[in-house]
Amino acid sequence: MYAYTDFDRQFVRARAAQFRDQLERNLAGTLTDDEFRPLRLQNGWYVQRHAPMLRVAVPYGVLSSRQMRQLARIAREFDRGYGHFTTRQNLQYNWIPLPQAADVMDLLADVDMHGIQTSGNCIRNITSDVTAGVAPDEVVDPRPYAEVLRQWSTLHPEFAFLPRKFKIAISGAREDRAAIAWHDIGLQLLKNGAGEVGFKVLVGGGMGRTPIIGTVITEFLPWQQILVYIEAIVRVYNRYGRRDNMYKARIKILVKAEGQAFVDAVNEEFAKILNDDPAGHEHLIPQAELDRVAASFTVPAGVAATTASNIFAGVGEGAYKLWLERNVHGHRLSGYRSVTLSLKRVGLAPGDATDAQMDAAAQLSDQFSHGELRVSHDQNLLLPWVRESDLPALFEAARSNGFATPNIGLLTDMIACPGGDFCALANARSIPIAAEITERFQDLDELYDIGDIDLHISGCINSCGHHHSGHIGILGVDKDGKEWYQVSLGGSDGSVLSGQAVPGKVIGPSFAADEVGDVIESVVRTYREQRSSASERFIDTVRRVGIDAFKTAAHAVRSSTAQA
Amino acid sequence: MKFIDLHHDQWHQVLGEDGPVVHPDAHAQQLLSLEQWHAVRDSWPEGLAVGVQLSNDFDVEALADDLPRLSLITLNFPKWVDGRAYTQARLLRVRYRFTGEIRAVGEVLVDMLPLLARTGFDAVQLRADQSVEAAKRALRFFPGHYQGDASEPRPHFAQAASKAQP
Repeated sequence: MYAYTDFDRQFVRARAAQFRDQLERNLAGTLTDDEFRPLRLQNGWYVQRHAPMLRVAVPYGVLSSRQMRQLARIAREFDRGYGHFTTRQNLQYNWIPLPQAADVMDLLADVDMHGIQTSGNCIRNITSDVTAGVAPDEVVDPRPYAEVLRQWSTLHPEFAFLPRKFKIAISGAREDRAAIAWHDIGLQLLKNGAGEVGFKVLVGGGMGRTPIIGTVITEFLPWQQILVYIEAIVRVYNRYGRRDNMYKARIKILVKAEGQAFVDAVNEEFAKILNDDPAGHEHLIPQAELDRVAASFTVPAGVAATTASNIFAGVGEGAYKLWLERNVHGHRLSGYRSVTLSLKRVGLAPGDATDAQMDAAAQLSDQFSHGELRVSHDQNLLLPWVRESDLPALFEAARSNGFATPNIGLLTDMIACPGGDFCALANARSIPIAAEITERFQDLDELYDIGDIDLHISGCINSCGHHHSGHIGILGVDKDGKEWYQVSLGGSDGSVLSGQAVPGKVIGPSFAADEVGDVIESVVRTYREQRSSASERFIDTVRRVGIDAFKTAAHAVRSSTAQA
Repeated sequence: MKFIDLHHDQWHQVLGEDGPVVHPDAHAQQLLSLEQWHAVRDSWPEGLAVGVQLSNDFDVEALADDLPRLSLITLNFPKWVDGRAYTQARLLRVRYRFTGEIRAVGEVLVDMLPLLARTGFDAVQLRADQSVEAAKRALRFFPGHYQGDASEPRPHFAQAASKAQP
């Protein structure tokens, strides 16, 4: 993972000192709560239902065991003993009192971590493929580029107060595991015919009230130019993005409204930076800088391709085999695998981990993965460097720490935001819905028969639980002060598995909270009845037969809303 | 960074009883609205110091030809979280090489100082309740920055590379 330089360390310490100064002025009453708000947001501090929430940046999802132990310590000493891993690969705490905020930022800085730009109307923490650098289908390793982008976007003085938040995702594999088309800027690394590396650049994707898939603005941009190109995009957005209505302030609305004029404006601005600005070319990335950063992302010492083995050889039916099938993934080095530590199990909200589990995950990564961990977009952890010969031992250790639920990619491996239990924005709770579905689908045979399926739950239209992109999406809505849930089908994150990115379609009026479990069961039952064969996946059946059959089935199980 | 004390500011707006004078007379140190400047620009004496106030939705490109004649441009923050004026300052200072004073006015708060300094502002008129001392402190936290800006156009990697060379 990226090795901080002295400068990087000083910088994060400076940020913590700056935040302490702001916090002290706030506590002393010379910085009002209203004016402190945007400042604390840009350090990851929200004020939520019960207490402030801290969102810690995990840049492109990469963590060391040392960092994970510090996160565990903060959970134990400052929070109530747990944290929540998010779809944007970050970690959230829910119970830290604001007066202790600056101390926590110092502890984070001790392990090269921070909360910079994890909230606010600025360029947010950049997300990427959880298997970056180890995926067998990788064309270009996105991590060095993600790090260069992280540095460039950190405290960019011109772009700290954009019309609205701004999210960038980057993928370098054939399979898109970063949902790039759903981002304000989506970057796909690729190689052209001559073998040169460049980016396909998408702009204007986003969820929220108006789900829109990003538009391709450039098919191939040489990698050296990416900072300049993004500067051009964000500058056009900062100048012309709407600020009169926060629901129309994302760049997707500007891109949609202006169409080709937006593209032309970006390309004109790009040319002006390079041709007119005296130092415009200084932000072209030199090979030496890419090499310097990439040197942090080499294969860990002691890791080298070995003879591949058949990991299923001699493995009988049972828990270990299921785990190998679902939680163990291919690797670009023969003899190695990446392994998901599932954070989806009965009794804990999706993505939640206790301090003991964080310590255990750190220990597992030291023992089996050279001290490196990843946080996935699907709210699980992943060990990227596991030897095939270590899999049986890892399975036992993962199982004894509650990480071995063999459900990766299945219905209970759902994405959910913290919802109304924690979030001040939420219209409805997500966690009880997630818990009920998890409890209903505990039969592994049934789960396996249902197969690959993305279930995404958001507690409000802000879409932190990515309901738009779920094969099944559940959205919490508020009517007359009560919780209701809208169910949609057929959404996709844009992976090869799920098909081109597209928002799901709503299947009729909202359901009451106590109906959602039955609705999901009826939808799943309909799929099993309608599928052409056991190998036709849920998303393919929905696409083939349309949503009407599902709509009818869901409507038939209405109870409290039956008369509505 | 220059902190403007309004009681001792040498620049004056040209206001009549019903708002800005449509066609102001030529005197030094006048801070004109854009409309006033357009009204007098063709007859304004060479070398007579003049300033212009811009709103934050103004395309600064349109003023590029006039910049050598201007001594002061004020850029407005109607709300402090509206970041458009940062881009205006960056364009004026870097792309159009404006060498006069760029002054932040409106809702200008202590914690904006690092951003203002780095996008090309060299003067601020803080909101009345703000502490100049805290604003000066806000400028001193960071050892440097990753990306280039109006005062140091090279990003950190380019600075580090040139330092590394013998």
